[in-house]
Amino acid sequence: MNKLIQFKNIVKEFDSQIVLKSINLDIYENEFVTLLGPSGCGKTTLLRILGGFLEPNEGEVLFDGVSILGIPPYKREINTVFQKYALFPHLNVYDNIAFGLKIKKEPKDIIEQKVMRMLRLVGLEEYKKRRVTEMSGGQQQRVAIARALVNEPKVLLLDEPLGALDLKLRKEMQRELKRIQKEVGITFIFVTHDQEEALTMSDKIVVMKNGEIQQIGSPTDIYNEPVNRYVANFIGESNIIEGIMPEDYKVIFEDRLFDCVDSGFEKNEAVDVVIRPEDIDIVPVKEGKLTGTVKSVLFKGVHYETIVETKTGTAITVAMTVSDPKPVQNMSADESMSANDFYIDITDIPELTNAEIIARADAQAWKTSTEELVSITKVDYEVKAEKGSYPVTFSTSAGTMTTIHMIVADENKVEEGNEVIYAVNIYKTIDDIKESMVLETDLKTWANAQAWTADGETGIAITDVDYDFDQDNITTGTYSITFSTRGYEYKIDTTEKYEAGDKVGLDFAPDDLHIMSREGNP
Amino acid sequence: MKKHIFTKIFIGLTVLFFYLPIVYTVIFSFNSSRSLSVFGGFSLQWYQKMFKNSDMMDSIFYTIIIAVLATIISTIAGTVTAIGLSKSNKVLRGITEQVNNLPIMNPDIVTAIGLLMLFSSLAVTKGFMTLLLSHIMFCIPYVILSVMPKLRSLDPNITDAALDLGCTPLQALTKVIVPQITSGIFAGALIAFTMSFDDFVISYFVTGSGVNNISIMIYTMSKRINPSINALSTVIIGIITTVLLILNITPIILEKRKEKMKK
Amino acid sequence: MKSFKSMAYPYIIWSIFLIVLPMLLIVIYAFTKEGNSVINIQFTLENFARFFSDKVFFNVLKRSFFIAVATTIICILLGYPLAYVTARMKPKSQIVMVFMVTIPTWINMLVRTYAWRGILDKSGILNSLLGLFGIGPVQFLETGFAVILGMVYNFLPFMVLQIYNSLSKMDYSYIEAASDLGADRLHTFLRVTLPLSIPGVISGITLVFLPAVSSFFIPKLLGGGQYVLIGNVIENQFLTSGDWGFGSAISLIMAIIIIISMHITKKLDKDPSSEGGKL
Repeated sequence: MNKLIQFKNIVKEFDSQIVLKSINLDIYENEFVTLLGPSGCGKTTLLRILGGFLEPNEGEVLFDGVSILGIPPYKREINTVFQKYALFPHLNVYDNIAFGLKIKKEPKDIIEQKVMRMLRLVGLEEYKKRRVTEMSGGQQQRVAIARALVNEPKVLLLDEPLGALDLKLRKEMQRELKRIQKEVGITFIFVTHDQEEALTMSDKIVVMKNGEIQQIGSPTDIYNEPVNRYVANFIGESNIIEGIMPEDYKVIFEDRLFDCVDSGFEKNEAVDVVIRPEDIDIVPVKEGKLTGTVKSVLFKGVHYETIVETKTGTAITVAMTVSDPKPVQNMSADESMSANDFYIDITDIPELTNAEIIARADAQAWKTSTEELVSITKVDYEVKAEKGSYPVTFSTSAGTMTTIHMIVADENKVEEGNEVIYAVNIYKTIDDIKESMVLETDLKTWANAQAWTADGETGIAITDVDYDFDQDNITTGTYSITFSTRGYEYKIDTTEKYEAGDKVGLDFAPDDLHIMSREGNP
Repeated sequence: MKKHIFTKIFIGLTVLFFYLPIVYTVIFSFNSSRSLSVFGGFSLQWYQKMFKNSDMMDSIFYTIIIAVLATIISTIAGTVTAIGLSKSNKVLRGITEQVNNLPIMNPDIVTAIGLLMLFSSLAVTKGFMTLLLSHIMFCIPYVILSVMPKLRSLDPNITDAALDLGCTPLQALTKVIVPQITSGIFAGALIAFTMSFDDFVISYFVTGSGVNNISIMIYTMSKRINPSINALSTVIIGIITTVLLILNITPIILEKRKEKMKK
Repeated sequence: MKSFKSMAYPYIIWSIFLIVLPMLLIVIYAFTKEGNSVINIQFTLENFARFFSDKVFFNVLKRSFFIAVATTIICILLGYPLAYVTARMKPKSQIVMVFMVTIPTWINMLVRTYAWRGILDKSGILNSLLGLFGIGPVQFLETGFAVILGMVYNFLPFMVLQIYNSLSKMDYSYIEAASDLGADRLHTFLRVTLPLSIPGVISGITLVFLPAVSSFFIPKLLGGGQYVLIGNVIENQFLTSGDWGFGSAISLIMAIIIIISMHITKKLDKDPSSEGGKL
């Protein structure tokens, strides 16, 4: 096969923002090539450079071995199906398709023949006199394809042409496009952000991110052998686990050694392991290579998407002291006020604000008769960055006041593996608990529970809050609350339905594991 | 390159065409001689004459007072009507919008003679009130026309959301609907003001009892060459330019102030 | 919301009295005799017969129509290039240019029209300029030239803005698509840009032709007593001779001419595409 198009070191900037970083790409004759990536990855820019609507800042575009930079779009043997089709609203279907031929001044009978052939190709013979504005999205799409193909280009560019169609029509057009491409036998370059579209139609997929090509390959290559976490995530569902390669054909993850079929990594190189959901089988606990608990099950039509947790995340437990104090009453001003003692980390002292103290102490003041909230105007306290108990006095402008204790303690944290989780002990009233409408969220807020990666760079979501009391029938006393992050989870496609809480084993074959370099150092 | 120069010359000539009469008027209002073509030296004599001429001064007064009143009344009435129409059924809204378009689509002179005959048939004495009523009448349609699209682009559930959250209908109107259509209301008010300020044809037919606006003044005085008209015209050009400048510069200043506040 | 709906009612009543009723009065007066006393109203076509039997009036009508058509054509010829050039400028220059075209329209038409008297007068600046080349003095005022110039001057901005709007709103992908299909700049303009901007031209025509055909102060200020148009005749009927019936009839005739002209213009817009369908 011949190299039809060659992009060489293409760089494109808009307003000194780099959109394409040195793109190199060869496209062959009769290929169906898909440029795949999220919006803003530069795929459309690359297409527009090929179409002649943009000039790159650096690099070369060769067409049949000859540079086409500087050649205007109307002289290129390339036609485009535009994003929203750009059908000329003042022309009917026939005239839209005949447009390019009329410009070239082809004889009328030839035009008629060619247009009719195109109408037949896209199945719109009946519609030639229809106004394009009166047609459905799918029909407009076909007209746009016919309008481009009638000029017999060597390459057809399609800029997210199916984006505006609904799901069913999109599937139909995918098949249709593939059929048309086979029938006319020219190169199609297709831009999309839909991975499924790319997988079904393409001979070759080019995955792009931030103006760079991540991977070029056939759909099966890209699906089975993604080069990095980004590609694996973008193409299809996948479980990605961090692991280490002690030697060729061996990989360690979840502290166990498994066989695999990959080689060529450095000794003890840190890697990402990809297992596709359909490649994992759920087996009895004893037979599993890994064991875990079913966390949730979602019905997906043909199969169940079962989430199995093999290891719980990092957890921290704090004490909650529940009391039942009466609010302070100020009869003369018709005001009431309440507040709790609270714990605070030493490290938080320097950044302490009044608003923070009011929130932590859950201090509130209100009109006794109407329950209308009154603002707390003054917060008096003295605190040192030392452990101990410090009094805090809140007061309103009417003179209602209450005093509580702020208990400064060491940071309460648990560090495990790559995660750190923090939380503080709390004091609450029975009413606080009973009146909470989103108890788990409130508990997180009150205890200031947070989790981070060990380097402190990225926050980690706290997914579980466990507590040993009944919200509606709580009494005074001390209770424990456990906050935890997500552990290792596997997404598994099963045909059988499992129940949440089932203990199961997971099984997979060595060739189900795909090992990738860590992203960032490919 | 040649093409480029040709384009520039073309733009230059059209701009000259648009501004020549305006510049001419301003310059010759300061002319010390009566000549139309020779600038005899700087003088304020035509302004003095204008200020001494009570008819001219009255016309400036009437023009401004009518424009201000007509703008305020028609902006309020037009906005209220537009909101009402946006909640009305299609038939009523369709008919009212058609009727509303009549004064915009009709040649001014047709609207003018219609009003003239109406006032005369009802034996109303023509003067300040008929002038004001007529101005309100032709201003409201423009206000409705510029407020309507803004209302149409509002989320239809927005009023219901406001009521759901405890607003009374009046609060929903003032706190939720009006804030979202202010740009349309301002645009309508601006059009109403200039329409009223510049109107000649309708005013000319419906006024009487010596109540004249600037346009009528110029029309009746124009039979003889009278450089005082240039002075009067310059005053109008000054007023309108100031209004336009304020309207266009205020948003820029506000924006800059906001940016500073952020810093 | 019933309470919101009722907000439109006062204006509906207002518009019946101040918009619909005056229009009805024009029709009634045009078709009746002795309209000044309500009881003696009689249907008549006399007013129309008088207009068409008197050659003077008919000539005025023809002249008004001719002037308006000429004004409209000149406005298109000048306005389209200006709008096109503007729409192809950088966004910032576009704003400035649109502003430049708009400002004059905010200033009183009479003020600007009156200024042309000083420029076009026999002793005005234009003639003094021509004098330097040994030409003239030329009689500009009180000619059809001055009237058309005044109208073009007053109404050109409307044409420019309408065409500019349709050009600047046009989806740029149409132009790219034409280029992609092999059309060079000239062909792209003739086959895509121009046809797609026709709606803008049409609304421009409406905004120019309508005031041009009914204007009466421009002919009065620049045409003097010599150049009478239909607007001046109507003015005379109402403010000088007091013949409301005849005046109303003339305005109705004018309105009908406007409606017919607009109808023809709109048809012209639709025709090319329906012809295209016959291919």
